[in-house]
Amino acid sequence: MRLLRKQWATAVFFLFLLTFPLWMHDGYILQLVFRVLVFAVLGIAWNFIGGYAGQLSLGHVAYFGIGAYAMTLSTEHLHWNPWLGVILGGILSMVGALIIGSITFRLRGPYFTLSTIAAAEILRVLVQNQDQLTHGAVGTNAPLLFQPPNLDAKFLWGAIPLLAAVMGLAAWIHVSRFGYRLRAIRENEDTAMAVGVNPAREKLAALLPSALFSALAGSLYASSFSFVGPDTVLNIDISVQAALIAMLGGAATVWGPVLGSVVLTLTSEIFKTYFEHTHLVIYGLLLILVVLFIPGGLVSLFEGRRKFRREAGPIGSVQG
Amino acid sequence: MARILEFEKVSKRFGGLLATNEVSFHVDEGEIVFLIGPNGAGKTTVFNLITGYVKPDSGKVRFAGQDITGIEPYQATRLGIGRTFQVVQPLPSLTVRENVMLGTFLHNASRAEAAARADEVLRFMGLEARANQLASGLPLAQRKLLEVARAIGTGARLLLLDEVMAGLNPREGEEVVALIKRLPEFGITSVGGVEHIMRIVMSLASRVVVLDQGKKIAEGPPAEVVHDPKVVEAYLGSKFMAGAAR
Repeated sequence: MRLLRKQWATAVFFLFLLTFPLWMHDGYILQLVFRVLVFAVLGIAWNFIGGYAGQLSLGHVAYFGIGAYAMTLSTEHLHWNPWLGVILGGILSMVGALIIGSITFRLRGPYFTLSTIAAAEILRVLVQNQDQLTHGAVGTNAPLLFQPPNLDAKFLWGAIPLLAAVMGLAAWIHVSRFGYRLRAIRENEDTAMAVGVNPAREKLAALLPSALFSALAGSLYASSFSFVGPDTVLNIDISVQAALIAMLGGAATVWGPVLGSVVLTLTSEIFKTYFEHTHLVIYGLLLILVVLFIPGGLVSLFEGRRKFRREAGPIGSVQG
Repeated sequence: MARILEFEKVSKRFGGLLATNEVSFHVDEGEIVFLIGPNGAGKTTVFNLITGYVKPDSGKVRFAGQDITGIEPYQATRLGIGRTFQVVQPLPSLTVRENVMLGTFLHNASRAEAAARADEVLRFMGLEARANQLASGLPLAQRKLLEVARAIGTGARLLLLDEVMAGLNPREGEEVVALIKRLPEFGITSVGGVEHIMRIVMSLASRVVVLDQGKKIAEGPPAEVVHDPKVVEAYLGSKFMAGAAR
């Protein structure tokens, strides 16, 4: 019953998104919704490792940036089709994830978090200093993945399959053995090992798709702005946003980051207009309020009776 | 009778403390062997050395004839060594059933099969009424049972129970004793236990290994071991020894 309702909600949501550009022709609104979707993808991807496995990464901009730069540089230097560059970005991000993951996952807690920040910063500084290859701190034009006219609508449509794919994967993780193992790692690594879980392996397995979708989101994002630069697609702000969106909406949930992205992207848009520099303060306040008063994230407000139902009913059982 | 576990001259030093000093003992197929000894004798360390949470400095650990010295904890579980923790460690945000499913997932990839197997274990442990409740809401006695249920779920052949009875009232203790005797129904042929409650040890153990300050000081059937002067001394001090001799 509940599952059926969820499927209906999902169908209506995607139908709405797909038809949205047909009647909404305001370019600014379309761009805004596009950004909501891209950051929802990033938040869900972050959730694989940050929410389910409980490893608070603040370095996901590294994968986002790898996607953006791989697409741009392969088009510029190798004269590839930009879509091929997107695929290259996806592959390189996973190679990067293997390298970064096998180093950072040796650390736990705050040390892990700091090491992910360091990894992303190293990448940013590298890109900044390779003037010949990357155009350094100035940045460069990113290729267009779609051709005019109606670019805003096309980018929005382009983000929808990406969101659908990452949500589908999240929904699978949510109920699969893999997802349970990640949650076991989050709750207690010693207990996880006592049920036969190899934490290092499972964390890497979660980081790979997380990096892949972050990179795809990064390519799409950079192409929509026709620009890549270390201060845009390798900016630590993006890492923070990915984590914020997931935690604000609800860590380790499928819909949480979607909701989180709607709220955070829209509020930051409003605040940016009215309080140019103080919007970061508002981010911080928002996060503190959510952590204090709704630790399950905004999504838990919609499932208010969930805990009680869990005790009484079928959620978490086979039927649920 | 086949040796399921061999612990051979294993030593482990933590800084200046020799936690385990050339300790040797074994568990045969079908046996229930208890480690006893005063606090700090190194009993839990022995369990951690078997399951790989602590790596030995020297010595050998064998499971069913295979050398598992210095193995990773998850590998020990996969080979068939289940364990509980002295300080119960349920996964609080998961339900009771989901906690046990983590164990049963080891040999059942599908969620439905893992859940069905978990329900069997929960029925056996008398926890079926709590299946959909969050583990964090269980009282201590049931959290201890959940700990055992999760270990049974992994399909272990050898189960290591670290002070499962501590904190249980006598009636609950009796129930757990009855359950331990029925463990072969789940393919668990051998049990290693750490326990302080002598009444439980006496009624369950086929053999007892006594540790004191990291060394094995006695071994044998429980009725004999409790009269061993070295054991009495370790527990009560030498003053009482003189009294006992008089």
